[in-house]
Amino acid sequence: MVAEVEERVVPHEPGAHENVSARWRLATFFLALPSLVVFVGLGFIPLALVVTWSFWSFDPDTYWIKPAWSLASYAALLENGRATVFLRTAGLAALTATASTLLAVPAATVVCLLSRPRRAALLLALFTIPFFTSGLVRAFAWRLVLGRQGVVNNALMSLGVVQTPVEWLLFSDFAVVLGMVAAYLPFAIIPIVLVFGRIEYSVIRASQDLGAGFWTMFSTIVLPLVMPGIVASFLFVFIVAVGTSMEIQLLGGAGASSISIMINDVLRVVNFPLAFAIATVVVTLLIVLVIVANRALRLSRLFESLGV
Amino acid sequence: MAHNSGNRPSLGVFSQLTRRRLVQNGVLGAGALAAGSLGIPRAARAADEIIFWATGTLDIGDAGWKIIANDSGVKVQFTDNGNDPGPVVARLAAGNANDIFDIGGLQGGSEKELARRGLIAPWDLSQIPNYASLWQWAKDIPYLTYEGKAYGIPTVINADSIIALRDKAGNVDSYGAIFDPRLKGKTAMEDAWINSVIFTAIYLKSSENAKIAEPGNLTADELGLVMEFLIKHKRDGQFRTFWNGWEQGLQLVANQEVWVMTGWEPIVYAARMRGVDCYYAVPKEGYEGWGNNAILLKGAVNRGRWKAAHQLVNALLSGFYGCKLGMLRGYVVPTDNNVAYATANSSAFDPASVRELAEHVKQKFAGKVYWQNTRPDNFQLYETWWQRLRNA
Repeated sequence: MVAEVEERVVPHEPGAHENVSARWRLATFFLALPSLVVFVGLGFIPLALVVTWSFWSFDPDTYWIKPAWSLASYAALLENGRATVFLRTAGLAALTATASTLLAVPAATVVCLLSRPRRAALLLALFTIPFFTSGLVRAFAWRLVLGRQGVVNNALMSLGVVQTPVEWLLFSDFAVVLGMVAAYLPFAIIPIVLVFGRIEYSVIRASQDLGAGFWTMFSTIVLPLVMPGIVASFLFVFIVAVGTSMEIQLLGGAGASSISIMINDVLRVVNFPLAFAIATVVVTLLIVLVIVANRALRLSRLFESLGV
Repeated sequence: MAHNSGNRPSLGVFSQLTRRRLVQNGVLGAGALAAGSLGIPRAARAADEIIFWATGTLDIGDAGWKIIANDSGVKVQFTDNGNDPGPVVARLAAGNANDIFDIGGLQGGSEKELARRGLIAPWDLSQIPNYASLWQWAKDIPYLTYEGKAYGIPTVINADSIIALRDKAGNVDSYGAIFDPRLKGKTAMEDAWINSVIFTAIYLKSSENAKIAEPGNLTADELGLVMEFLIKHKRDGQFRTFWNGWEQGLQLVANQEVWVMTGWEPIVYAARMRGVDCYYAVPKEGYEGWGNNAILLKGAVNRGRWKAAHQLVNALLSGFYGCKLGMLRGYVVPTDNNVAYATANSSAFDPASVRELAEHVKQKFAGKVYWQNTRPDNFQLYETWWQRLRNA
């Protein structure tokens, strides 16, 4: 894109190109500088401290940490079922991300392929409605819907489907996943909608001209083209779901745990090194996941049209 | 606002502001806001101004603090500390709390530890004349003193037990109901070892003859015994959920999600207002007593606020604060000064209600009470066991 702009605004003079190009790079650098400062200052440095401190030891005398290097906090991750919390959180997040993505693909298809612009805008606005209220209220509302005296159980009982309230609707993994899917579905829809915007519609028309039906066109042309968006959707939801605690605390069973609940528990007893170790492992795993997804599924294709 | 006409605010003040002044004010305002939110010590405060950093429910609002200021000569800035003792202690020990706040107010248990580390200073009881009016058993809370000096002054006190639905659970008079297999899936406890472990320990000690010396401060072996018991019942599906916070607790009772749960008495009153027939049980094993205690932060002493801090705590025990807090939240400041104040100011407070509340709490403490301890000696082991319970 930089080259295109240069083409338009910079006159071609022999020998001048290298100077101009260097100037553009400098301008690009200064444009990016504020973001870079914010990223390094507010993101990278604290993260580096967290990683470093995770190898320090808790000091009962100062109630803080001391630079006595140790792997004890990492060893503690394998004790008392803490590893199970990692697996359980990842499992619930994966389930939520899968369900959200599966729902997002048809929703985005309806918005982008089967709706006129005004209806598409309206549908997109509707999908963002969950964000209009706080996550806490949203999750709490599910208790009123799924509880023993909730809307669903009342309906089931009045229709004679069940005689007594269905207990597993609330305070269960089912309730947690339902609450998370409802909350994070927009995170899944938006990336796919954005990728749909990059499809050349002449390709779709060509396939129709050649006699392809909707499903053939969708599975052989649309789906491969929106695949990076689908992967991005999955990752967005997965990452947000890994970090959440609200739905699990409000809708999960007795003492249900997640990584962030575990961090809270640990901080409550000022075991800072363990909290930092948990955070380090989570961040590392998520970075690895994004790198692997990018390598395997070429997420970078999402940015190709931007000339990046 | 000198040019106000009717209810409309005058633009006169704004018209006199230059753009430069507006920018200056904006920058100063933003700076002050940033300083406040980042915990940077604010500009010099008057020596008679105290920042009271306490559990949010101890706040009596600007109007209330103004009356305290008039009575005691001490201005109060109230700041909510979030109530969770863990972060509060951590911020005192490893953060900047002592640079900012003067008096802390938190659930009892950590006084000894904070005193030992020199993070809080002892109160001089001779400077708090109203201390003498405190009910004796409130003065006797075990962890208020360290090496013979008073570090905690109980400003609010109560005792917790079990909430039960009358028509579903019948007559509940023991914590055993929480673990009763007939109520499987219909019971709940708080998602906090601070409360749930001591309730279980009280039950095991009193009704199952378990060898437990002090339910609020379990040894490693005692803790193991209690937690294995909880884990077994969790695995058996005894608990519908563990709850967190007022709204969740109330919803569980009001929507009859659970029939019996350990919890806070105000939930009973709120659920009754929603038409639920529930009651607060009087367990034969005794109550879990808790106190929210005022602690004098070392930083306040260093900043020359020692005297003002004592004046303020004396004012908290003088009667008005107790009446106001009782009216706002049903909390009791453990002194008869509340009733005396209400009697002398019956136009502001109903003396009968104030007396009734005080008698109700006294009644609870007439029986067996085990004190909640937010910082037992093995507190990190408590978290470890709680994690095992979560994963059971």
